[in-house]
Amino acid sequence: MGHRTRWGAIAASAVLALGLTACGGADNDDEGGGGDGASAGAPAKAPGFDGTTIKLATLSAQSGPVAVIGNPLVAGNKTWFDRLNAEGGVAGKYKVELVNEDNRYEADTTVQRYNRVKNDVTAVLQVLGTAPTLALLPQLRRDKIVAGPASLDGFWVKEPNLLPIGAPYEFEAANGLAHYIEAEGKDKTFCTFTQDDVYGEAALRGVDAEAKQAGIQVATRQKFKLADKDVTGQVQRLRRAGCDAVSLAATPTDAATIWGTAARLKFAPRWIAQAPAWTGAFAKSPLAPYLQQTTWVVAEGTQWGDESVPGMKQMIADQKQYAPKQQPDIYFQYGYNQGRAFTALLEKAVEKGDLSRDGLLAALNELGEVDYQGLIAPYTYGADGDRTPSRSNAIFSIDPKAPGGLKLEAKDVTSPAAQEIEFQAAP
Amino acid sequence: MLRRGGPSSTMHRRRADAVRLWRTPWSRFGLGLLVLAWILVPQVVTDDFWLTVLNYAGISAIAALGLNLLTGYTGQISLGHAFFLGIGAYAAAEVTRSSDLPILLWLPLATLLAGLVGAAIGPFALRLRGHYLVIVTLGLVFIGEHLFRNLKDVTGGNSGTSVAATPSVGSLDFADLDLLGQAYSRQQGWFWLIWALVALTALLAKNIVRTRPGRAIQAIRDRDLAAEVVGIEVGRHKIWVFAISSAFAGAAGALYGSYQEFVSPDEWTLFLSIQYIAIIIVGGIGTIFGTILGALFIGALPSIIEEYSHSIPGVQTGPGDDGFISVFALNQAIFGVLIVAFLLLEPRGLAAIWLRIKTYFRTWPFRY
Amino acid sequence: MSEFVELAFAGLALGARYALVALGFVVIFRATGVINFAQGGLLVVGAYLTYAFLEGPGLPFALAVVAAMACAAALGAGVERVALRPLVGRPVYAAIMVTVGLLFVLEQTVTTIWGPDNKTLGDPWGLDTVEAGGVVMAVKDLWTLGLAAAALAAFFAFLRWSTLGVAMRATAADPEAALAQGISAGRITAISWAIAAALATVAGVTFAAGSDALVPSLGTVALVAFPAMILGGMDSPGGAVVGGLVIGLVQSLTAGYQQDVLPWAGENVSTVMPFVVMILILLVRPYGLFGTREVRRI
Repeated sequence: MGHRTRWGAIAASAVLALGLTACGGADNDDEGGGGDGASAGAPAKAPGFDGTTIKLATLSAQSGPVAVIGNPLVAGNKTWFDRLNAEGGVAGKYKVELVNEDNRYEADTTVQRYNRVKNDVTAVLQVLGTAPTLALLPQLRRDKIVAGPASLDGFWVKEPNLLPIGAPYEFEAANGLAHYIEAEGKDKTFCTFTQDDVYGEAALRGVDAEAKQAGIQVATRQKFKLADKDVTGQVQRLRRAGCDAVSLAATPTDAATIWGTAARLKFAPRWIAQAPAWTGAFAKSPLAPYLQQTTWVVAEGTQWGDESVPGMKQMIADQKQYAPKQQPDIYFQYGYNQGRAFTALLEKAVEKGDLSRDGLLAALNELGEVDYQGLIAPYTYGADGDRTPSRSNAIFSIDPKAPGGLKLEAKDVTSPAAQEIEFQAAP
Repeated sequence: MLRRGGPSSTMHRRRADAVRLWRTPWSRFGLGLLVLAWILVPQVVTDDFWLTVLNYAGISAIAALGLNLLTGYTGQISLGHAFFLGIGAYAAAEVTRSSDLPILLWLPLATLLAGLVGAAIGPFALRLRGHYLVIVTLGLVFIGEHLFRNLKDVTGGNSGTSVAATPSVGSLDFADLDLLGQAYSRQQGWFWLIWALVALTALLAKNIVRTRPGRAIQAIRDRDLAAEVVGIEVGRHKIWVFAISSAFAGAAGALYGSYQEFVSPDEWTLFLSIQYIAIIIVGGIGTIFGTILGALFIGALPSIIEEYSHSIPGVQTGPGDDGFISVFALNQAIFGVLIVAFLLLEPRGLAAIWLRIKTYFRTWPFRY
Repeated sequence: MSEFVELAFAGLALGARYALVALGFVVIFRATGVINFAQGGLLVVGAYLTYAFLEGPGLPFALAVVAAMACAAALGAGVERVALRPLVGRPVYAAIMVTVGLLFVLEQTVTTIWGPDNKTLGDPWGLDTVEAGGVVMAVKDLWTLGLAAAALAAFFAFLRWSTLGVAMRATAADPEAALAQGISAGRITAISWAIAAALATVAGVTFAAGSDALVPSLGTVALVAFPAMILGGMDSPGGAVVGGLVIGLVQSLTAGYQQDVLPWAGENVSTVMPFVVMILILLVRPYGLFGTREVRRI
């Protein structure tokens, strides 16, 4: 009987509460707009910029299995900005401060951590992981925040909110294969062995583009699943097909299983491995002699410590000063290059006198070519995601005595097929 | 002490009293407080980070309520819950891909589909008892992941799919709430939506367990043979509970997808299933309120630990820091320790601790 | 033909490792009625202990494995005493979930002590192979089969002839009658855990040997041993061995021939085949191939 009145009372108190605290509504989401119209003068205060210091977030795996990648990435970020700050900062006067968040390589954690820092930072310097970046994209677009993906997926090329660097996985695969064809000719049997995920699919697109360009056939395409402990079946099929060259997209744990199986089955093609398959630990493992004979790693730039390249010379000097314990590591180098890209972006924004979110997006559209001083090939950032990624890769052979186990085989390898690849927008 | 004829929380004179939802003025007062908290929290906690934590926790609560019906009330352990979340998420993505359906359509559709899949799988899975069921439902997670990766037209394959399902009914869009001239953020809107749905689901679950079929499944849990003897059709009951539990998971999955706007096959893993089991263990097996407490606890704990990791000695808070254990390792280890500790020390979970506190104050100054 | 033999051999070697893990499951299940999810954790701990004994004091490989087995066994018995003994008499799910919790604790302990990066175990087998009749076989796989066979033989001999083994069988058959005979159930349970941990160590070493990487997440392979255990029947040690070998063979042969036979089934069906086979067999035989049929009396 009395039920209706009681529910009514609850409802009424609800409405009252809503009215009373309406002032608690969102106001922190709209800070992204405008820079007070300050043009070309000193940039006005904006989220993450208090007039003297610019804050950038990193959402990287600092713990868990992927920390092996995330930690050197962040160390690379930090080394770049430590050096920059010592020289005065962005445009010589604005110091940069990093806000490091651990995304644990998980999509939902990334979204949570992003929400924690988004109102305190100017941009997101680094997001590690393909799935986490994809999960974050809708919010980045809504919040008009620029972010730097720490993965080389082709998806990022066309995305106006992202500032990718380097040659995408597609180019790695295409350039690696192109280098092999140039060295050994077309009269060979070409195969692929890829991880069954986004990264493997990107590599396959690259191989396909190169195969079309060069007019060759891919004899067999094998795939494996992450953490599969038995790949005998797939390796046998590669061997049966008589593969002379196999494009490999994997990560180190699986690469160890694959190369071990191949070595035992006396299958020794030319492995053209994508950069993420490599880790310095291989140079000391029982696999080293086999890898020395069979494997190329397709990465970027030049050999660690190659002082003839100006960017490398500076990076080594910075590493010795600001990260003395750092081992040779491609991810450290990647993080360092991200620092350079964002510095270019921030300087453009400062030049235009607007460090707000809109200002950064506008600056990204006008950024143009960024030169990485030979660490990676130049990348051109045009308006509205019209971009030309770094086109060339470097091919490394395995040498246990070289830093990180990689010895430069060929520099600036650029396949014409790389121009043919159409990048898809993110799903 | 007792008011003659009035309802009491400690003693029931009539059957109807025992099954009533809000028995005493105090429990009705508590309900009012919860409603008030629901309204106020997003306005007090305007920090988007804590709101996202609460929102994800709310979504887990919905899924865990379903699992508690199956595990807590019927005694059937399933490790396959993540699979049904996946079904719900992809269903929501699929039905909103070409048409802009309101939440009143895509949410029930996704729920229904996951329930149907559960009803189809149930008869096979529930033929098996105890341990065999645990392992078979574990297989479901792996087979499901295989399907999600390979049915590219629906799931987008490895690269995942964006989810266009929006939380809107007509002009009311919870992601972009505008009430009485006051604009609310996406996280605030979602908080109200998700936690209203949590309340709805909890009410539904509560109503299921206090009806005749609900008492039947508890009889099955306590002793399936005895239940059969008193005329309960064990098989049929197990199957409908499995279907309903899957449907709850489907609803949670659809919300997860819509809230995150993107899902990929990397998310529906065994770990997710284990997390739901942990929620109901920590919260209290076979309690509705406990499940929600558990979801909040398990959902917010990693963030709380991380927030205060700077003041925990020996914890490494960033790359290159000193300290022997990383925050992640600490979190995972604590997650494991919590499961162990609750089962060893307080098998009835947070709900029992809550009850003890309540009893303490109610019987104060007397102790027993 | 030689390809088939090669594939079958690799499958059997994989299956032998699954069998070692599955046998650990069965040993614990027979003694306590609990599925031990922490077996994967014990496997990782065993492999890392071997690594530690090789790297630290520089023990010879065989000695390092034995030392690791002993340490793991002690750890297994200790874990049982601390975390599982108090749960005797409580619902079975409680014990199962405790082992799930332990899995997390063990894996993170390993990560904290040895770090998350790839290690090389440092076993003497490396990439060596032998060739017989045109079939290439890895020395590592031969040793795996040999070690598995030795471990299994030792276990069965122990169960058949030793007093403790007889006591274990008696407890499995009828706990109360065994108790009445003066057999300490607690002692049997602790010993079962120790045996399971030692078996897991052997399995872990064979999984991480050769060129394969030793990583803290190695324990996930134990999940594939569940189908092996279920397939054989949960309380049958012989069934665990058969189940392990069947699962290993099925997985390997599927990887080898799926593209010819079942191209429509999607990529990497081989990794889900263990579960598919398990479910198919359970549909026909709900208690596995050799499991004891549960009798329900009214």
